[in-house]
Amino acid sequence: MLDKEEDRGGVKMKKKRYGRVFLGLMIAFGFMLTACRNETPEESTSEDGSEVEAGMETDGMYSIDDFNNIKTPMGEAIEGGVLNFGLVSDTSFEGTLNYNFYQGNPDAQVLQFFDEGFLSWDENFVYGQDGAATYEISEDGRTFTFTIRDHVNWHDGEPVTARDWAFAYEVIGDPDYDGVRFGADFLNVVGMEEYHKGEADEIAGIQILNDKQLEIEFIRTTPSILTGGIWTYPLAYHIFGEMEVAEMSASNEIRQNPVGFGPFKVETIVPGESVTYVRNDDYWRGRPNLDGVTLRVISPATVIQELRTGGVDLVSSFPIDQFPENEALSNLEWLGIVDRAYSYIGFKLGYWDSELGQNVMDPDAKMADVNLRQAMWQAVDNQLVGERFYHGLRWEASGLIAPSHKAFYNPDLERPPYDPELAKQLLDEAGYTVNESTGYRETPDGEPLVINFYHMSGDDVQEAVARYYAQAWEDIGLQINLELVEFNSFYDQVGEDHPDIDVYAAAWTVGINVDPTNLYGPITPFNYSRFVSDENTRLLELGVSEAAFDLDYRYDIYNEWQQYMLEQAPVFPTHYRANVTPVNNRVLNYGVGDGTGLYWYDVALTQEETLAAE
Amino acid sequence: MVKLFKSKKVEKNLVVNKDETYSGFQILWRELVKDRVALISLIFVSVIVIGVGVISLILNQDEIVRVDLFSLNQPPSSEYRLGTDQGGRDVFGLLIIGARNSLLVAALVTLLTGIIGILLGIVSGYFGGQVDHLLMRIVDYSNILPTLMIIIAFVTAVPNYTIIQFSLIMTLFRWTSIARLIRSRTLQERELEYVQASKTLGTSNFKTIFVQVLPNLSSLIIVTMTLNLAANIGLESGLSFLGFGFPDDTPSLGTLVSSARNPQILELRWWIWMPASILILLLMLSINNIGQALKRATDARQRRG
Repeated sequence: MLDKEEDRGGVKMKKKRYGRVFLGLMIAFGFMLTACRNETPEESTSEDGSEVEAGMETDGMYSIDDFNNIKTPMGEAIEGGVLNFGLVSDTSFEGTLNYNFYQGNPDAQVLQFFDEGFLSWDENFVYGQDGAATYEISEDGRTFTFTIRDHVNWHDGEPVTARDWAFAYEVIGDPDYDGVRFGADFLNVVGMEEYHKGEADEIAGIQILNDKQLEIEFIRTTPSILTGGIWTYPLAYHIFGEMEVAEMSASNEIRQNPVGFGPFKVETIVPGESVTYVRNDDYWRGRPNLDGVTLRVISPATVIQELRTGGVDLVSSFPIDQFPENEALSNLEWLGIVDRAYSYIGFKLGYWDSELGQNVMDPDAKMADVNLRQAMWQAVDNQLVGERFYHGLRWEASGLIAPSHKAFYNPDLERPPYDPELAKQLLDEAGYTVNESTGYRETPDGEPLVINFYHMSGDDVQEAVARYYAQAWEDIGLQINLELVEFNSFYDQVGEDHPDIDVYAAAWTVGINVDPTNLYGPITPFNYSRFVSDENTRLLELGVSEAAFDLDYRYDIYNEWQQYMLEQAPVFPTHYRANVTPVNNRVLNYGVGDGTGLYWYDVALTQEETLAAE
Repeated sequence: MVKLFKSKKVEKNLVVNKDETYSGFQILWRELVKDRVALISLIFVSVIVIGVGVISLILNQDEIVRVDLFSLNQPPSSEYRLGTDQGGRDVFGLLIIGARNSLLVAALVTLLTGIIGILLGIVSGYFGGQVDHLLMRIVDYSNILPTLMIIIAFVTAVPNYTIIQFSLIMTLFRWTSIARLIRSRTLQERELEYVQASKTLGTSNFKTIFVQVLPNLSSLIIVTMTLNLAANIGLESGLSFLGFGFPDDTPSLGTLVSSARNPQILELRWWIWMPASILILLLMLSINNIGQALKRATDARQRRG
């Protein structure tokens, strides 16, 4: 070949050799260049996917009903010991270590050991009288008087006072407050609205009766006051009293040396990575059993290794897809509850107007057409995703109230069935017709439609699920641009209404209060879809009206609200979750879920060393 | 016996030498053929490259990266030759497409860095003086930059980038060593009589550089490029492994290997990461072997052929 080239070559010898250098290069790279074309006409796989593969067994499914939620004791407690807690997250925790300011769940996991709220709640999520404060309600149900117990002290020795409690309300209600806790519950306090707008210097409805007694007057009495409608986390006035509200969340007192009044004190913090706690002998419930706790961020990828080798006793969460293969580990017991949470897909329909402090819908938003949203819902098979990826430990959600709220959960709401054909039909009828040249659907105005789908990156399964959604939507002709974003920036971007986000997949861990106003109300920044409508507001208000003290009435209202939301589909729920969590066998007095009556100060160990698997 | 063999060879060489002198390429080729390991490596690389090229023409990338809920994590079987991954995707398909993408980027980067490096190196060496000074300071400057960090920063900062852009950013930092090498050889070369003669005869600089000097550097160029190809495959796979390589939905050898970061997959589903790992190992070894053989060929004292 080379020789022939030489024969045919030009006049001069040198010229020929020059040509050959490039011939050599072409030979070396030419075949790779041709290999890069990938437009192949081959189309073989069938679309319906109805034939079940032989290899995948239909059993291997689990049910949350088979799990216990309290650790079975295995041995006698020893004195002290240090518990190793794994905070499972593929990113570091942000480190906003105060209940009044934190945003993400990882920070809450850090907070739970050293701080707590005044009130505890029972398994029906109603405030009880065994917390750090007790309460009395006036006859008209509008005025609450709280009495803080005597021995409740901050970690620096100062007593926790009614001033601290009132201060928390003042800070969260302050116009300069940069956290996310402000919402309808706060506006229900007499005088809060004026204070929030800067028209009043004090909140009229909050009275400090004496050091230990606080009185809060609410505008309307609603059933939700008693199930999470009270802000129970004080903010230490002797520390933050002189500070500007806007500077608090970035201050050292929250980032580096946080104080609380919980069972453990923060000893050291390695920002984002680990926290060591020591026992707070002065804890108001009594002396904790443990000497301390070591909290460490561990990646979902290594969590099972850590558990197996005894690196950690407990973890904040466990990647459910790894459960089946590790079910039988000898050093662990698996506890499970129905998680107070649901996953959902949200559509950006507007933006948060921080001037007005309310959500504003944008009629020109890409996802503004309800038919488009409904079609996207119909195009995804959530039941199958739950079975295949999560072995039945996540299952298709029926509405926006999680099954953990037993009294209000309704499994029989009408929702669009999984049917891609119907979805296509719906889009056709709504004017989203396929452009023959691109193969994708266009808006009714004939504009190209590219939908940006934001999803959290994380473990492999999450990414596969994200791809499944994107692909299911591509299958009905929508052009999807999938972005995988890491947890912290994901919620930052969703919260800030990043202009690129059209659709996002997220999840809510819901409060003990069934009232969804804080997540879907018109004036809450957590309403990430920015959906507002009169009907929505009306139903949400009815749900917390005086009439709603009647449980049946309230149930009906929330049914109606859920049904309305399913029809409007500003978000659609995808999965309810089981929370399956492993516990090392040396741990005693530990339970998961609400109303177990077990607190962190109860937790004890049976031996010094964490057990490893055999 | 050995002696006999050697003398025979010399004799043969002598006989051939009577007829014609070997061109640079023939020397390279003879060296490859004589070195059994290098020859096998060459055949292996060719088979892989051609195989990957041909098979990937048949495969459809969109089909390969489709999540299939009915076939998650299946071990190798007659239907899925190398099993499926956690998204139900055929690992064999991912391997082929991934290998194609990885090779493509490596080749593209090698080609681009080659062109830039050779041009600047030869110009720098040939002209010397201010030009040389300027270019070499640029090279020095690029060399002290933390390449990997900058690539990672780029990939993080730019949310949507294509394979081409990714190759370009890699190219930006990897031409310097080639430029330096070529420059030093050009420095030697320009002192030789043929260059002087050419200059005296009034040949233009352009012609002297590209028609006379460049061909004399060809063997060096080929060797460097071959070794660089292996290094670039490694760099791309490494970046993809760390999650800073190709865009998300583009399979690559590195992404396949990186699934082994999940302990479940590492322990229980070897078929997802093992084939890609072995392929990377063999490819890099083979290309290195070829490169080493070629390198020997450029030095008459080390030649076997």
